[in-house]
Amino acid sequence: MNDRKEKWTRIRIRFMGGVFVSIFVLIAARAFYLQVVKKESLVKLADKQHQRIVPLTPVRGAIFDSNNAPLAVSIEMDSCFAEPRNVEDIPDAAAKLAPLLSMPADQVEKKLRGSKNFVWLQRRMPPDKVAAIKALQLEGIAFVKESKRFYPNSEIAAHVVGFTGMDPEGLEGIELKYDSTILGGTGYLVTERDALGREVYNKGIVVKNSAKGQNITLTLDKNIQYIAEKELAKAVETNGAKAGIALVMEPATGRVLAMASYPTFNPNTYFKYTPQALRNRSIADSFEPGSTFKIFLAATALEQRAIRRGDGFDCENGSYSIGGRTIHDTHKYGYLSIAQILKYSSNIGAAKIGARLGSDKLYAGLTGFGFGEKTGIDLPGESGGTLRNKNQWFGVDLATISFGQGVTATALQIATAVSAVANGGLLMKPYLVEKISDDNGNMLRTSAPEVRRRVISEETAKTVAHMLEGVVVEGGTGVNAAVDGYRSAGKTGTAQKVDPLTRGYSADKRTASYVGFVPLEKPRLTILVVVDEPKTSPYGGVVAAPAFSAIAQQALCYLKVPPDHPLKKKPEQMVVKSAPPAETVDAVADGGVVAGATGAVMPNFRGMSMRQALKIMEQRGLNVKLQGSGRAVEQNPKPGSIISGNDQVWVRFVPSA
Amino acid sequence: MFDRRLFTNFDWTLLALVLLICSIGVVNIFSATASYQMAGPPYFIKQIYWIIAGVSLCVVACSIDYHILDDIAYWVYGAIVLLLVAVLVVGKTSMGATRWLNLGFVNIQPSEPMKIVVIMTFARFFSRYPVFNGLTLRDLLYPCIILGVPALLIMKQPDLGTAIMVILIASSMFMYVKVRWSAIVSIIVAAVPSCYLAWHYYLRDYQKDRIITFINPEQDPLKSGYHIIQSKIAVGSGGVLGKGFLHGTQSQLRFLPEQHTDFAFSVFSEEWGFIGCMIVLALYLFLILWGLHIASRCNDRFGSLMAVGVTAMLFWHVIINMGMVIGLFPVVGVPLPFFSYGGTSMVTSMVGVGILLNISMRRFMF
Repeated sequence: MNDRKEKWTRIRIRFMGGVFVSIFVLIAARAFYLQVVKKESLVKLADKQHQRIVPLTPVRGAIFDSNNAPLAVSIEMDSCFAEPRNVEDIPDAAAKLAPLLSMPADQVEKKLRGSKNFVWLQRRMPPDKVAAIKALQLEGIAFVKESKRFYPNSEIAAHVVGFTGMDPEGLEGIELKYDSTILGGTGYLVTERDALGREVYNKGIVVKNSAKGQNITLTLDKNIQYIAEKELAKAVETNGAKAGIALVMEPATGRVLAMASYPTFNPNTYFKYTPQALRNRSIADSFEPGSTFKIFLAATALEQRAIRRGDGFDCENGSYSIGGRTIHDTHKYGYLSIAQILKYSSNIGAAKIGARLGSDKLYAGLTGFGFGEKTGIDLPGESGGTLRNKNQWFGVDLATISFGQGVTATALQIATAVSAVANGGLLMKPYLVEKISDDNGNMLRTSAPEVRRRVISEETAKTVAHMLEGVVVEGGTGVNAAVDGYRSAGKTGTAQKVDPLTRGYSADKRTASYVGFVPLEKPRLTILVVVDEPKTSPYGGVVAAPAFSAIAQQALCYLKVPPDHPLKKKPEQMVVKSAPPAETVDAVADGGVVAGATGAVMPNFRGMSMRQALKIMEQRGLNVKLQGSGRAVEQNPKPGSIISGNDQVWVRFVPSA
Repeated sequence: MFDRRLFTNFDWTLLALVLLICSIGVVNIFSATASYQMAGPPYFIKQIYWIIAGVSLCVVACSIDYHILDDIAYWVYGAIVLLLVAVLVVGKTSMGATRWLNLGFVNIQPSEPMKIVVIMTFARFFSRYPVFNGLTLRDLLYPCIILGVPALLIMKQPDLGTAIMVILIASSMFMYVKVRWSAIVSIIVAAVPSCYLAWHYYLRDYQKDRIITFINPEQDPLKSGYHIIQSKIAVGSGGVLGKGFLHGTQSQLRFLPEQHTDFAFSVFSEEWGFIGCMIVLALYLFLILWGLHIASRCNDRFGSLMAVGVTAMLFWHVIINMGMVIGLFPVVGVPLPFFSYGGTSMVTSMVGVGILLNISMRRFMF
């Protein structure tokens, strides 16, 4: 009995043990399934619950001009968001928020009633609104810092710098071309939140990949850019023209110092403008250049020894038939030397030089100067112009291309080609980005001038340059381009425009231009001014040349380039005209401080923007050294005092807020 | 009564095992409540007090010869059933359930000791029952009455968790005594219509919710399914090695419900991973097998039945709780013995251990 009892007990215990162990194995298997097999998906679910990932507007790097004046900056602004689950009284909150968000209350309420537990109410809000909302102390309404692009100089260099969209990507200009550089890493705000959806601040907000974008320094000089824009606007407006371009380049390096288009726009509110205003005409628009092209014709012909500098051509008294067409000159000329052909801009002379040169060599020469080919500038949307292959030149084409009709080029191509003449024959690659640095100021990349090729010999370049000086002197088409105190070279251009309706040349629409460089011997600046469809006069020498002169005059003074030529006008007159007297320029070179106009009264610059200050300076003919950027905070001498010849005249600017 | 053999035969293994699980439990409660902000002593300190109280009761439970329980079993059973009736009549109601009895100086919950009393009662009942060929349906009549009265009273409170526990403990003892297949089949045949009737006329809405939720937790993730889903996420996201002590995101950020009591093991699984889970599971398995070992070593049928009953009680608590935590079983409020925070569970489990120790150390007394 006892044995049987013990045996029974053992069997039943084993039975129970078996049942218990199997159920344990079931539990273990389930744990294995959850923690090993399904781990990944459950981790994701967990992260989704406790982490909230909010993409933030990345902080873009700044864009500076060559003097480190900011052209584009990112400023921190508050973005308002709501966590609807934490909002206590939704209708009440919506009613209070609506006026501050400038949204109808029902729309705010709709946002707050959405299924998501995170909703942006308004991003990048003005500070006063932010303060007002914060003062409401609403539960579930909070702010996070986000960056907003801001262009402190408004229109200045707008076409070059470009702009960004509401999302922080670059849409135009340098902002677009260097978007990935400037943009850096996209920032994410990763917050942990607890089961009630509250942010767990003591656990820390992790910002992932928030590497700040890199900073870009341009070759552009804000002051020269301003001068170019101002003079271009004047030229376009006084001549009732449709549009215009002004380009300032350093011929030796290809550095672009100013690139202006008219009409212009304010990149802070780019969306208010038409595409016409947003276009960077210097690179995007190609047009028939007209007589400025004679520079390259002459240079090629001389280089190829098709002509010699002493040669002359009969200009047929202003009317010459070739290939079944008749070419006219503005004035009737007989025998003209090559220099005179350029000086008076004879189309007949040019056609004859072209005929002497032949289409093969002219085509080779023009492609050598970079026509029909993009310059490779670091901007998006560059056009290459059209230079038909010589096999497609028929009849009168060789003649018309010789004086710049039947071929198109961009302003940048022309300026770059003229720079090759100015610098002794080297075709440079124009560029805008001087250097790229990181947030801590460490240099990451520096640009160096890049020679594309030698186009003409130094000797040819010098010969052509001296011939082009004739354009500016008494009797030339470009006398209005003369820069007082400096010898310069240049060429006018007056091109007929193709009428898009008739597909033939328009009777009255012209492109007036002037391109040149200065000073003659050691050129510092290549300047091109194009005025599209002027109404007052079609001629480049009348419409564009004065702008060239004005830009050159002010830019040379600003760059402290010593004059190489006696002045025609007396210094007193110069003051009124806003160009600095020659004596002061010398002082600049020595002391590094620009003296103001002697005897003038110093205005009060306090609180002014640099632009406003420049305007005042221009109006009063003052020459004041501007330091820093932003708003004027300090000046010397004091407002109202008389400026004496020995005074250091300066205004210091500090970025506002 | 206290002879030297009792001390030499004291089951240190069992006590050490239980205290080891208790210690892991305390550490885990520390983590589970790290995010709580509350006044007074923290939960893990209070749990230590409960462990001390539990061990003291355990010592009391093992110092009185368990054969006394044999003598008094029916009397105690009767007394507790009366208390359960009293609960329904004059009990204290909190959170929709009437479980507590106010005795003036202390509140007692008679359903909790009922677990042990059921074990005692059936141990006494079956120890006098000379059947080795298995219980027939007829043989089960009296046991079902003995079980049914307290089970229905507890369910009426309502306290589904304890009622299920009492039924599972008793059923385990029936299985141990052996139930004939014919009886099992008959019960199943009878169970189906009664479940139908229970569903429509007896179960409360929140109890139905729990069962529906168990079958399909995703159907309403924000309400009734929340507990199960959250627990599964916490356990699963722990992976093999876990997220580390105090680094469980779901628990520290309080996505887990009742994470220091019923869902304490979720916290542990999240932070210590599959490895940690298996270690604790192994400890419990060892405890259960040790309990059965005590039952098999015992020389008298009452003691053996008592040991199986107590082991079954611990076993089902562990299984129901872990099954709930890993989403195998519905959410019924069953704590994990020695591991979850709470005095009631600690006291009951420790008394159970005391009985096991009692039986273990007196195995040579006959």
